[in-house]
Amino acid sequence: MNASTPNLSRREFIVATASIAGGFALTVLPRSIAMAKAPAASPEINPWIVIGADDSVTIRMPAPEAGTGNTTQAAMFVAEELHCDWHKIRIEPVPFARDAREDVYIKKSGIWSTFAGGGTQPGIMQTMLQAGASARERLRLSAATRWNVPLNEVVARQGVLSHAATQRESRYGEFAALAASVELAEEPTLKRREEWRVLTKQSPARLHVRSIVDGTSVYGMDIRLPGMLYAALLQCPVHGGKLESFNFNAVRDMPGVRGYAAVDPSEPRKKVEQPAYWAHTDPSSAIAIVAEHYWQARQALQAMPIEWDYGEGTRWKSTQQVYEAVLKRLDEPAGEQVKAAGNARAFDEAERELIEATYFTPFSEHATMEPLNGTALVTRNRVELWHPVAAVMQALAITTEETGVGAENIHVHLPLVGGSFGRRVGCDDLRMVLAVAKKFPGTPIHVVWSREETFRQGKYRDLQAARMRARLDSDGLPQALHVHVAGHSPLLLGLENTAYTNGCIQDVHIEKSTVPMHILTGQYRGPGYNTHAFFLESFIDECAAKARIDPLEYRLRLAAKWPDPAWANCLKEVAARAQWGRKLPKGHGQGIAIANWGMQGKPHEGTTVAAIATVEVQDSGDLIVHAIDLAFDCGQMLDEDSVRAQLEGGLLFGLNMCLNEELNIEDGRIVEGNFDRYRMIRMADVPRVIRIHTGALSGHARYSGVGEVSVGIVTPAIANAIFATTGKRIRSMPFRRETRVT
Amino acid sequence: MKAALYVNGQLRNVDAEPQTPLLWVLRDHLGMTGTKFGCGIGQCGACTIHLNGSATRSCLLPLAAVDNARITTIEGLSQDASHPLQQMWMTDNVPQCGYCQAGMLMAAAALLKENANPSDAQIDAAITNICRCGTYPRIRTAIHKAAAQLRSKEVSR
Repeated sequence: MNASTPNLSRREFIVATASIAGGFALTVLPRSIAMAKAPAASPEINPWIVIGADDSVTIRMPAPEAGTGNTTQAAMFVAEELHCDWHKIRIEPVPFARDAREDVYIKKSGIWSTFAGGGTQPGIMQTMLQAGASARERLRLSAATRWNVPLNEVVARQGVLSHAATQRESRYGEFAALAASVELAEEPTLKRREEWRVLTKQSPARLHVRSIVDGTSVYGMDIRLPGMLYAALLQCPVHGGKLESFNFNAVRDMPGVRGYAAVDPSEPRKKVEQPAYWAHTDPSSAIAIVAEHYWQARQALQAMPIEWDYGEGTRWKSTQQVYEAVLKRLDEPAGEQVKAAGNARAFDEAERELIEATYFTPFSEHATMEPLNGTALVTRNRVELWHPVAAVMQALAITTEETGVGAENIHVHLPLVGGSFGRRVGCDDLRMVLAVAKKFPGTPIHVVWSREETFRQGKYRDLQAARMRARLDSDGLPQALHVHVAGHSPLLLGLENTAYTNGCIQDVHIEKSTVPMHILTGQYRGPGYNTHAFFLESFIDECAAKARIDPLEYRLRLAAKWPDPAWANCLKEVAARAQWGRKLPKGHGQGIAIANWGMQGKPHEGTTVAAIATVEVQDSGDLIVHAIDLAFDCGQMLDEDSVRAQLEGGLLFGLNMCLNEELNIEDGRIVEGNFDRYRMIRMADVPRVIRIHTGALSGHARYSGVGEVSVGIVTPAIANAIFATTGKRIRSMPFRRETRVT
Repeated sequence: MKAALYVNGQLRNVDAEPQTPLLWVLRDHLGMTGTKFGCGIGQCGACTIHLNGSATRSCLLPLAAVDNARITTIEGLSQDASHPLQQMWMTDNVPQCGYCQAGMLMAAAALLKENANPSDAQIDAAITNICRCGTYPRIRTAIHKAAAQLRSKEVSR
């Protein structure tokens, strides 16, 4: 038995059974099914699984569904061991308030209650498999006892218990109550991988998809509660500024208007112990109008006279000023050493055969399709949340800070999340929802950020510039690498964790410097990595060109110095599939890149990915990306279709970042407020050929996350392809600034 | 103003300010949240509905302009998720976060009503909605498959 598995005592069963009644069901299944919830009388077979008399199997999820399929994956873990009917599975959130009182879920199982960074997977896998196995054995033991037959003759399959010799058969639901009272002498051993029938074998339709296609899906934006009022929110357009004055009287008679809430960041707030995951979450100065409908609130907010003290941020007059400040910082001594390996001073000694280049990435917005929003009902001793949140433990801490109510009295519902990509982990959105809702105690308040508000009050991908220098050895490979990264604080790096900087290159010196700025940043899909895979893999391409060695061959020689053969295998696989080196028409070219997300400098960790972009640069200068091929090694796949979906989606996320994304600054404000100014790839912009190749999978015993890895690899592959085609080296995103994209 | 809408075949009476966009009439006045709010400026297409049979973005469409109009939303695309596009969306696992998909489905359904065998270029022209998760390739494939299914049904009739 795994140490992290809930150790269930009889007392816990009784407590649990008594405490599941009540609450408001909102889950990821179609409304008709989801609203049914586990009937109050259903016995809890263990804290994670409730089997109803109607044979329903309700699985309690510690994390919401934001499109990665993590909910379906959890259900697959349970189904693998429980042998239940897949179509009877329902999902509901872990009762977090109960967890705070009884400590049966999150801390106990060591689960990171978020879907960010692959965080749902490792802890949940063990916990859910064990919960499923435990439930199955309790059901079998119950049947064996009642039928008075040997336990080893009772078979559990497809939600049915049977005994062949006596021709007895019962549905799980018939034994659920008894099974909940059974005690096992010891927890069952899990199946061996070779015995799996669901995991690695099947890719079921994801559980939340039906509700999406028939219009019954419930996202945070879709919460509707009796007596609920709608709020439209405006924070200071320059981050860090303060609300000076507003005139509510000017709009109080507008249709539907019911009130306002001014959010003052300097109001005293409770401080709690930091949760597992922490990001910028300070409240911002804001004003909200509350009305009977959202449109009314929005109209009144727009009409209301508001004055701001914009504060320090206005000293940043233009985008150019910001970029120049960051680039200039590279010319000064670095603030902090990140890594020094080998002869870190190698550059002071020899200046010959030196390659130097400066790379750059701008601020980018997550642009989740569901604008930020949330719903809260705050009373003095109790908070109820219906929030599209990415990190629940963070949300609980934020709620306590903002309302003073402890976790044991915070009731969390987890609606579907319309995309996060890192945006919804810090919970600054939830904090603002609560800051408004607590001014209307007893009334559920649904706070909606307009698209413009979502854009301009982001937690952006940080802006970075890097000066890269390398000295090549007599074979043409980099012997020494020096990188100075400058940018917005906190700087999220990545190139210090890769194979190149942990053995392939002998002398490595990485430094960083921050440029203080008022603009708020945070995690953006593949934090750090999305920038540094570009910096490093484009620069390595420059080294290959300098050495006059084919870019594939160059990387294979570097990879030969790394103990994990996946690096070479991914390169070979993608090269074979994309037919690297074949003759291409004039104006066409290929670029290759390799990287890893999650390895932390170690072999056989994280997911390694190699990509080849096949592009065309027309005489007019227009760039067309014809094909992207990708080979990867995450160890093994639990659900191949889900892995493919994440890799495909990540590629297109990365393509948009590479070609299009850049936020501009004017007098301290973010200029772009909507999709008219912030360009997004659409159907017509998608490369006709996107191929995910599985031939480099090592079968190594790990199931590394695949949500981020393809995001970072696209930019260097395309940059290197443009160089191969035209000889022009693009060193800053977005490429649209430097080349016309069609 | 008082207005009458025929939503998914049912007469619905609404009383709201004439400038209220149809999107918010559907979502907040009629409680039909299947049609999503994405941008509010007609860019992203998450709010796509059928107005008198044509794919239309509802976030810029004032109530005053749709009195007596015939409107189909995602809730009315079929009774039981049986539209070939809905079926294909499920079997091919098209959605990821899914927030844009109601709009995608409505745009695709309007396309297939006009054109039972759309080319890639015609799909490009008709589906201008934004998906941040990057489901475009699966959407394209699913539209082709659903179109083929619709055509074979036509033939067998």
